[in-house]
Amino acid sequence: MNKIDVKNLNFYYGTNPAIRNITLSVELNTVLALIGPSGCGKSTFIRCINRMNDIIPNTRTEGDIIIDGDSITHPKYDVTSLRRRVGMVFQKSNPFPKSIFENIAYGLRINGIKNRYEIERIVEQSLKNTALWNEVKDRLNESAMGLSGGQQQRLCIARTIAVQPEIILMDEPASALDPISTQKIEELIQDLKKKYTIVIVTHNMQQAARVSDYTAFFYLGELIELDKTEAIFTNPALEMTENYVTGKFG
Amino acid sequence: MPTHLELELEAIKSKIFEMADLAIEAISKSVESLKKSDTTLAQSVIDGDSLLDQLEITIDDECIRVLVTRQPAATHLRLVLAILKINTDLERIGDLATNIAKETVRLQGQPTLKPLIDIPRMAEIGIEMIKDALRAITEMDPVIAEKVIERDNEIDELNIQIYRELFSYMAENPKSISQALGLIMIAKVLERIGDHATNIAERAIYYVNGVDVRHSDD
Repeated sequence: MNKIDVKNLNFYYGTNPAIRNITLSVELNTVLALIGPSGCGKSTFIRCINRMNDIIPNTRTEGDIIIDGDSITHPKYDVTSLRRRVGMVFQKSNPFPKSIFENIAYGLRINGIKNRYEIERIVEQSLKNTALWNEVKDRLNESAMGLSGGQQQRLCIARTIAVQPEIILMDEPASALDPISTQKIEELIQDLKKKYTIVIVTHNMQQAARVSDYTAFFYLGELIELDKTEAIFTNPALEMTENYVTGKFG
Repeated sequence: MPTHLELELEAIKSKIFEMADLAIEAISKSVESLKKSDTTLAQSVIDGDSLLDQLEITIDDECIRVLVTRQPAATHLRLVLAILKINTDLERIGDLATNIAKETVRLQGQPTLKPLIDIPRMAEIGIEMIKDALRAITEMDPVIAEKVIERDNEIDELNIQIYRELFSYMAENPKSISQALGLIMIAKVLERIGDHATNIAERAIYYVNGVDVRHSDD
């Protein structure tokens, strides 16, 4: 079953096309990795899925993105509810300058959850789901800024899943982390896909191979090839993909 | 300009070709020793097998190192995986050639029951199959490899023919049983060499096309 269907998507910065006529689908409870050289449109593409690009002036979107049958590109579609359904994790961890507890509780409160015990329960569950609970349970009221980079990133993922999104977008979530923290994030992605559908941008091809079920190769704003990850890394159909994954260009 | 990875893969490839040359030499010398009842030549095949064993270990080590340090993908990955398996096939071929040489030693210079024609023919076909399977890799040509796989039938038929012929020898003259059984064993060994050459051809197709053709005719 498809969670996301992208149809003939074009995206322009001014008159400059950054995404050219992309059509693809993402299956429910799978991880899709986007690979391709810098500037190929990977990040622009995932930012279309929760309409983060709306805030950039002088841009234009054509085509359609459908999530569970709803066209989310429609101007009347409620962007706030979209961003609740589609969470995002960025390259640089960006916790709020608040306590660890408040980082997660904040999103719950603005989503209307008032019951203190309910909030405590969700905070604990989110931290457990991101394998952070044991590391922070004794200092929930300390500032999140005191956590290590890897812990901050996992806190941001905990914050994202606390509001129960359906889709998680990740833009290079581990590129600034050490190997151990990276491994933890990758393990987490594997666990999270049981509940969520994940689209991840990564420059690290081995990471794409490790965490994803499907891999899409982008080049100059176009989708060149999308296939099962194993096929892309053992026997890609197109020479261009072959050249990219074997490091001949990019 | 080739990348460091490509240079390393070329180096591993040339080692596998070196190993193939040694395996081919072992087959041809062992059958020659049998034909000429030359125990010295046979002994040199037996002694030379350790070179193949050493190369097997070296090639395995280098493939593992490339997998760990370079994380190859696509064609590069398929080449390493193919070589890891071809390596085992070639080492087995070396062992099988040693079995033929041991039979020559066992005969202690006695002439063979009859002039050998089909056994050297089997060896020739086996050697051509190994050479062609490796040529399929250098030329990246799956058609050459497909032809190798087809030729396995020729070896199989010769094996059956030799078996029948020696069976009638044994029925007529019980004194021939010991040597006839030895020759039947050698034909079987050459038939196995044909199977290993077929395996190498299948790995070549996997490397070039990414398609696993093993057991596709089962």
